Amino acid sequence: MSALFNILRLLLTADRKAMWRGAMLSVLVLLMGAALLGLSGWFITATGLAGLAGVGIAFDVFRPSAGVRFLALGRTAARYGERLLTHDATLRALAALRVAVLRRQSEADGRSLMQLRGSAGLTRIIADVDALDGIVLRLVLPAFAALVTHLVVFALLAWLVGVPVAMTVLVGYLPAAALILWRLGRCGMAPSRQAEAEQQALQRGIIDMMRDREALILAGELGAQEQALMQTDMRARRAAGTLDQADRAAAAQLSALVAIVTAAAFVAGAVLLGRGVIDPAVAVIATFVALALGEAVMPLRRGFAELGRMQDGAARVEIAAQPLADAAPIDPVPDAPLLTLRLGGDEVALTPGDFVALEGASGSGKTTLLLGIAGLHPVPDIRIKGRAPQDWPEAQLRRIVAMLPQRSALISGTVRDNLSLAGDYSDAAMKEVLEVVDLWAALSPRGGLDLRLTEADAGLSGGQAKRLSLARALLLKPEILLLDEPTEGLDAQTAQRVLTNLRRYLPDAAVLAALHRGHDQAEFDRMLRIEPQARR
Amino acid sequence: MTKDAHTPRMRAQARIIAPVADLLRKAGWVSVAAGLIWPLQAALIAWAVSQWVAGPVRLDLSVMAALGVAALGIVRAELERLAGGWLFAAADETIRRERDALILREARAPGADSSAAVAALAVQKLPLLQPWITRYHVAMTRVRVVPLVLLALVFSLSWVAGLVLLVAGPLIPVFMALVGMAAEDASRRQMDEIAGINDLTLERLTAMLDIRLLGAQRRVIDGFALRADDLRDRTMAVLRVAFLSSTVLELFAALGVALVAVFVGFTLLGEIGFGSWAQPLTLGEGLFILLIAPEFFQPLRELAAAWHDRAAGFAVVEELDRLDAAPRAVMLGQGARVQPLPGPLSIRTNGAGVAYAGTQIAVPDLSVQAGDALVLTGPSGAGKSTVLSALAGLVPCAQGQIEVCGQPLTTDSADAWRARIALVPQRPHFADVPLCAWLDPRGTGMDPAEALALAGATQIVARLPQGLKTRLGESGGGVSGGEARRLMIARAVMMGGDVLLADEPTADLDPETATHIIDALKRLNEAGRTLICASHDPALIAAFDTRVEVGA
Repeated sequence: MSALFNILRLLLTADRKAMWRGAMLSVLVLLMGAALLGLSGWFITATGLAGLAGVGIAFDVFRPSAGVRFLALGRTAARYGERLLTHDATLRALAALRVAVLRRQSEADGRSLMQLRGSAGLTRIIADVDALDGIVLRLVLPAFAALVTHLVVFALLAWLVGVPVAMTVLVGYLPAAALILWRLGRCGMAPSRQAEAEQQALQRGIIDMMRDREALILAGELGAQEQALMQTDMRARRAAGTLDQADRAAAAQLSALVAIVTAAAFVAGAVLLGRGVIDPAVAVIATFVALALGEAVMPLRRGFAELGRMQDGAARVEIAAQPLADAAPIDPVPDAPLLTLRLGGDEVALTPGDFVALEGASGSGKTTLLLGIAGLHPVPDIRIKGRAPQDWPEAQLRRIVAMLPQRSALISGTVRDNLSLAGDYSDAAMKEVLEVVDLWAALSPRGGLDLRLTEADAGLSGGQAKRLSLARALLLKPEILLLDEPTEGLDAQTAQRVLTNLRRYLPDAAVLAALHRGHDQAEFDRMLRIEPQARR
Repeated sequence: MTKDAHTPRMRAQARIIAPVADLLRKAGWVSVAAGLIWPLQAALIAWAVSQWVAGPVRLDLSVMAALGVAALGIVRAELERLAGGWLFAAADETIRRERDALILREARAPGADSSAAVAALAVQKLPLLQPWITRYHVAMTRVRVVPLVLLALVFSLSWVAGLVLLVAGPLIPVFMALVGMAAEDASRRQMDEIAGINDLTLERLTAMLDIRLLGAQRRVIDGFALRADDLRDRTMAVLRVAFLSSTVLELFAALGVALVAVFVGFTLLGEIGFGSWAQPLTLGEGLFILLIAPEFFQPLRELAAAWHDRAAGFAVVEELDRLDAAPRAVMLGQGARVQPLPGPLSIRTNGAGVAYAGTQIAVPDLSVQAGDALVLTGPSGAGKSTVLSALAGLVPCAQGQIEVCGQPLTTDSADAWRARIALVPQRPHFADVPLCAWLDPRGTGMDPAEALALAGATQIVARLPQGLKTRLGESGGGVSGGEARRLMIARAVMMGGDVLLADEPTADLDPETATHIIDALKRLNEAGRTLICASHDPALIAAFDTRVEVGA
């Protein structure tokens, strides 16, 4: 539950003012609705009485009928305002939640970021965040508005009609409605969790079946796999059915509750009337108001039915509580080499201008070592200017070390947008790095920096996308440049050209490149070999 | 509207609504019955109040009336619940039908859509049909009956009150079109907004490693917040207008009720002498009119609220239709497990060709005997993979013939033929199962040690945290490309059979690993397996005797 509260706090404080005004208007809408029905009921009964008594002329019709018109129009206007404000507040909250999720993920370590890419985990985060969007608009705001409305109505009824009648309405509604909704929330918990889990399994299963279809067909297992998926689907739908059943039961109970409380308010009015405390026109108010209050209670159902899903999502979604803080910069150790690391038993030092290849069979831990130097994975015995990568404040470390990951991701937008991720650079600087990576000639006829990359890296070949990512890292002019398989997907000539240009562009940087293709190593001064070892 | 605009709607109607029309009709009428209970409750309340006014208060009558109101309320609630159950069943049945159709088709006859897109359609988008099925149709049925009955009741008591509703009522359908469109627009805008902001989040999360390595977290997150702000501003501008038009609907309803209330009040005072029929309006009748007037507008508002559900449903049907019409490569046979095709191994092709997605790919004429090793070469895009697929009966031939073990490869022989072959696909995919199950898709229960050793993958498994019980999942997080390739070869060995088809088995591998793979393939060939590889790796081509150019 505490996870849910944390997220709720984040959502509610995204814009306190908008949220608060929206909440007030929600209450106003409900109150005006109750007042409209109550006043109309009173008005008609009172005019009926006056008509029967033959005192119609003396009856003040102006104020009540003006009141009816005012409430009818005012309620419509309040409803409009409420909708606008709550939607605005919700959209703000929605953005705030996603910002918090992004922030949290930006602090994750390198391996989990690599695994996050394109995985089911990613779509799951989005689905969870989506489920949490409803928490304010469908759960908290309506519950708050219903509660406040009931309390205000209680005070007004006690004043206008009498405490016993007001008590009947309050005691009739609140505990029973709370019980029904609490039970719905509880009963919905397990099926909504199960429905969600089965749906995730189904989605993954369909992807698995389609991507692995050759093997399934050859193994004669396709039919069995289809049957298994249909079973998963059945379980998912069955869980959804259980949830729907609980939801419908709660709806029926709430709807019956409205009728019962209305009837009770009617009897309470009749009792007071019988004692001669009030007249029939006043006695009828409670009945009409009780009827109108149904509008406060009924919409709560939907939010409570989703409670299980929301709580589940909240438990999984990790959000950053605080914005990123800037650590105070630290000084390098004097006279320490630029970079030292330990390979096998040997200490290796890299100095400015070094151009070093890191070689080893697939799986020998090249990527892990590079991530370690970049401070994104704990690897012992790495020192940058005499200090462990983790000891450097993030911002300072990024100015020293840049890394091109093996699978780099581009964002949709223009080439310029992608290069701008590295910071604000002039067009000339951008063009220069694109020339270094031998990409400018290919890009300039297609719009140059303004070429739009639509989805992911569509429009560029794999090798071009890789070089664009490299250009992005080069813009930072780092002192240490780490390259994970920089020549993968490039033909030998291009690879050689890019490496030569790169060295000329960053003559004073220490470059460490993980490679598995032997023929590119000619460009490098020396070669470090990493031997396979047990990982983790 | 033109006929063209109707066609997709009619198709949607025929595809989704017609099969469950009976359930929907039943639910609609029960819901109408529930809606007609309210006038009875209103009549009871009005009658009881008029009893209060008529003479001394009789508590027993009041209690009886109240009990009646409560009991009718319970009946009404139960009727709604009953209708809701049928509606859910209708939606559930529809989702089951469409989902099963997708599950049973997409692996057998894949189209161009990605597996992720198909999975999203089947799991996330199909449920969008539910609100359309459950809310829109029932609202439509109610709107056709309930307001008319209530209007008739009001008219029978007072023609002026009836006239007020009649004027306000038909004005609503006029606004309905407007409001419906606006509400549709509003909800679509909001859904677009959420979808847009979700895409943005997804993309930023995907690129987070790069972003982090560039030290661009703050820049990116601030930029994201700015974009979200901008999107919100634009969405709100649309919503302001959209909500305004639905406010008009409410305004008419509110004004209608207020006018009726004021008119009834004045009539009861005797200040208005017209409007009712022969007798003047009584208090009970006045209260009754007041109570049922809001319910006159209620079905119209429900329909307006359900309007966009229909649009969302249409969008899903459109996507289903599009998938139905997409060009597909239908596999031969059923993919069932059958006895292997008998007879000595041979593959012979004669003028065979595959037509797929508008391109023609010619299968070179081959004659392969047991124990042969053959490399299909050719530039990328020439169709090497397609030729392998055709040999396995995974795509149909548009012309010519493929003959396996002396008989033509057809739907009848495909399953038995495939029982003799194993395939190493180009791209690795690890399903969400333990590695030992993934390695053994035929479920032989054999010890994978030998196959792993043959593929040079023993060390890879030893390094995994849980060995053979590891779930690699998705893109094989935890193993590199070369490791994944060796595991795929081990898997093909485990699958047995006497033919091995391998698609680019050494692509993207370092020379050392590639040599391992080529050695493993050679060992398999020497052990008697017939080998057909697609590759443009010179080392692999050099390792085997025969090469055949594809697309020459």
